[in-house]
Amino acid sequence: MTEYNGCVTCKSADKVLEKFIAQLPMETSHQRVESQKLKCGFGLQGVCCRLCANGPCRITPNSPRGVCGATSDVMVVRNFLRAVAAGSGCYIHVVENVARHLKNTAQAKGPLKGLQTLDRLCEMIGIAGADSYEKAIKVADAVLADLYKPDFEKMQLVQKLAYAPRYQTWQKLGILPGGAKSEVFKGVVKTSTNLSSDPVDMLVDCLRLGISTGLYGLLLTNLLNDVLLGEPKIRMAPVGLRVIDPEYINIMITGHQHVLFAHLQEQLVQPEIVKLANAAGAKGFRLVGCTCVGQELQLRGVHYTGLFEGHAGNNYASEAILATGAIDVVLSEFNCTLPGIEPICDTLNIKQICIDNVAKKANAEMKQFSFEEKARISTEIINETIEAYKTRRPKTTLNLLKEHGNDNTLTGVSEVTLKEFLGGNWSPLIDLIVSGQIKGVAAVVGCSNLTAGGYDVLTVELTKELIAKDIIVLTAGCSSGGIENCGLMTPQAAELAGPKLKAICQKLGIPPVLNFGPCLAIGRLETVAVELAKALNIDLPQLPLVLSAPQWLEEQALADGAFGLALGLPLHLGLPPFITGSKVAVKVLTEDMKQLTGGQVIINADAKESANILEQIIMDKRKALKI
Amino acid sequence: MSQIQRIMIDHTKCNGCKSCSLACMQAHRQDSGSLYDLDLTDGTNESRNSIQTDANGVYFPLFCRHCDDPQCVSACMSGAMTKNPENKLVQYDGKQCAACFMCVMNCPFGIIKPDNPTKTYVIKCDFCAKDKNGPNCVRACPNKAIYIEEVV
Ligand code: SF4
Ligand code: SF4
Ligand code: SF4
Ligand code: SF4
Ligand code: SF4
Repeated sequence: MTEYNGCVTCKSADKVLEKFIAQLPMETSHQRVESQKLKCGFGLQGVCCRLCANGPCRITPNSPRGVCGATSDVMVVRNFLRAVAAGSGCYIHVVENVARHLKNTAQAKGPLKGLQTLDRLCEMIGIAGADSYEKAIKVADAVLADLYKPDFEKMQLVQKLAYAPRYQTWQKLGILPGGAKSEVFKGVVKTSTNLSSDPVDMLVDCLRLGISTGLYGLLLTNLLNDVLLGEPKIRMAPVGLRVIDPEYINIMITGHQHVLFAHLQEQLVQPEIVKLANAAGAKGFRLVGCTCVGQELQLRGVHYTGLFEGHAGNNYASEAILATGAIDVVLSEFNCTLPGIEPICDTLNIKQICIDNVAKKANAEMKQFSFEEKARISTEIINETIEAYKTRRPKTTLNLLKEHGNDNTLTGVSEVTLKEFLGGNWSPLIDLIVSGQIKGVAAVVGCSNLTAGGYDVLTVELTKELIAKDIIVLTAGCSSGGIENCGLMTPQAAELAGPKLKAICQKLGIPPVLNFGPCLAIGRLETVAVELAKALNIDLPQLPLVLSAPQWLEEQALADGAFGLALGLPLHLGLPPFITGSKVAVKVLTEDMKQLTGGQVIINADAKESANILEQIIMDKRKALKI
Repeated sequence: MSQIQRIMIDHTKCNGCKSCSLACMQAHRQDSGSLYDLDLTDGTNESRNSIQTDANGVYFPLFCRHCDDPQCVSACMSGAMTKNPENKLVQYDGKQCAACFMCVMNCPFGIIKPDNPTKTYVIKCDFCAKDKNGPNCVRACPNKAIYIEEVV
């Protein structure tokens, strides 16, 4: 905890932001950590059940079973599977919307900006078409057909999308998923009152949900997005609250569904629309990135120069971004749109508009996105945004934070651009790994939370420890937002790397931490891992590659984690996902999983210790590969 | 310093969350670790306090009163249960205990009890004597239903 002027905020890896937040006249999540610091031990362990009217039941030495007889294992794993199913549902919602959008766009012969990706997709899943539109329609149909299958019908694209050795393992374990939506449905049914009481069976379901989440919700979402919105390109970009320019009408975007902004984006740069902004006294419109969708725009930022100002911060920076007073509208479509922004929006007269009702915010105006009515919706959003700007700016005192963030964060890294950067194939990276110049790869992914040491504290500290050990770090998710604002994605951060990694970074002019963008880009990291494994002719668990979600926050992260485990990767978490009350869950996830998929969960909240554990795993894998 | 402290109870604020009991178990566990890995199915992890409810579902936190005239001490023939003259706490020394459970039978509040798994010693509040921050239960209560008061 940190105290400024008697105000207590949680500790933060981002010192500039920490001071700013502590001095704000309004309350943010960072202040509320203190008043919420007493945690219920039953909840922490996952041994509280309220699935029926006999509950809540809690496990103690004097009450080892719930009224119905449920043990701690049953309670924990039921809760866990529910969370994984919900998290999977979130990502499947996203890929469903993207696939529908692609189909609609292609049918309307609208813009398709990533034709290389479209061809890559067609090749992957074996689709041919007379032109791009036909191909895009067929791809979208194939994805949607799988998503809507019943749970007893296996999805068709899994074999085409998965790395062959993995597919075989999954087939052997019987965890090939049926229709992705139905798998979520099954997870909800199984965990209802007095249904499944088999903890191992439910953990197996988590793996199945992990596969559907990873291949469809993550991998395919990125590819479909790239087709629609344009492929990423490596470039330097400004990040942090400094990107906010008050001379523009500013729209802060939050969510995970970049396609829902596609039409609006096009409109906001039309000369006649810019003139409307000019008439209101502004230089034009700007989108300010926040949460994962901000990372999406940053990743593809090369296509939106002059509109996208930059990524200001992750989920737990959103309140501070608004507190600058220079944001006129929050346009949201998904998580992580914190309820805590609502009182701040009220105080600063910031208009909230919501374009997907699964994330309807209490004081937001609902404008459900629809492809057919996108022109009307964009026009309404533009008019209301101008109105908001005109009414609120005269009565708002700005509180900018120009010293926050940096101007040269490397962005636009993807499975394609990284390979291009390496000269069109992976051998330079593989050579560096084999020769030991780079010890291994750590994917630091997932969210940002305020409790694993404080705001991004474990994420940033762990990343620093890893690069100091000559382990290259790749990021995806809100972890990227925290790490970039702390400067670790600037080429200067090479100074913090171990001597070997530093030399490589300095030679190439790159940072030791490569930003793949949003959590969805965990799918891109999977592709990188698969391509490295292919080049080495090994399976994923053999790679000197570890996964860490040091500050995982939400259910989606648990579904991502289940994907990581299905891939057979070691998965580090800072805080346990409410499972430690079950000996079965702990054993299966941290031990038995090694025999099942090759993966394992490692739980440790200490950056140094965690880095040592992950380094040891990497060294063991190197040894087994005799490199 | 002979400060005399007591845990006071405002039962109207208690919502039965049992955080106090978990904190007590955590403070007295034999192995080391965090609240995350405290074994809630291990009978040796017992709480020195408990929460009871009356017929109307009203919660009553039960904590050792460290009585002025402790019946447990009077009943104890072996000298295991004593009243500390300085801080006025009622202390239990397991090494001297004969496991006759006279104390258990004589506590007017039904607070102390034999240990569950072996029934060879007594589970008794020690006011978290080993913890310089004082009673763990009080710090864990989210509702301030239990609090420390200095008494004279
Ligand atoms: S389902 Fe069982 S454990 Fe859960 S609340 Fe009902 S009785 Fe208690
Ligand atoms: S055990 Fe009972 S009698 Fe003894 S001090 Fe505590 S409350 Fe009083
Ligand atoms: S059980 Fe132990 S402490 Fe209690 S009265 Fe008997 S000897 Fe004394
Ligand atoms: S003071 Fe300590 S020993 Fe006594 S009930 Fe509270 S936590 Fe338990
Ligand atoms: S911690 Fe406080 S509110 Fe919870 S059961 Fe104990 S006394 Fe009651």
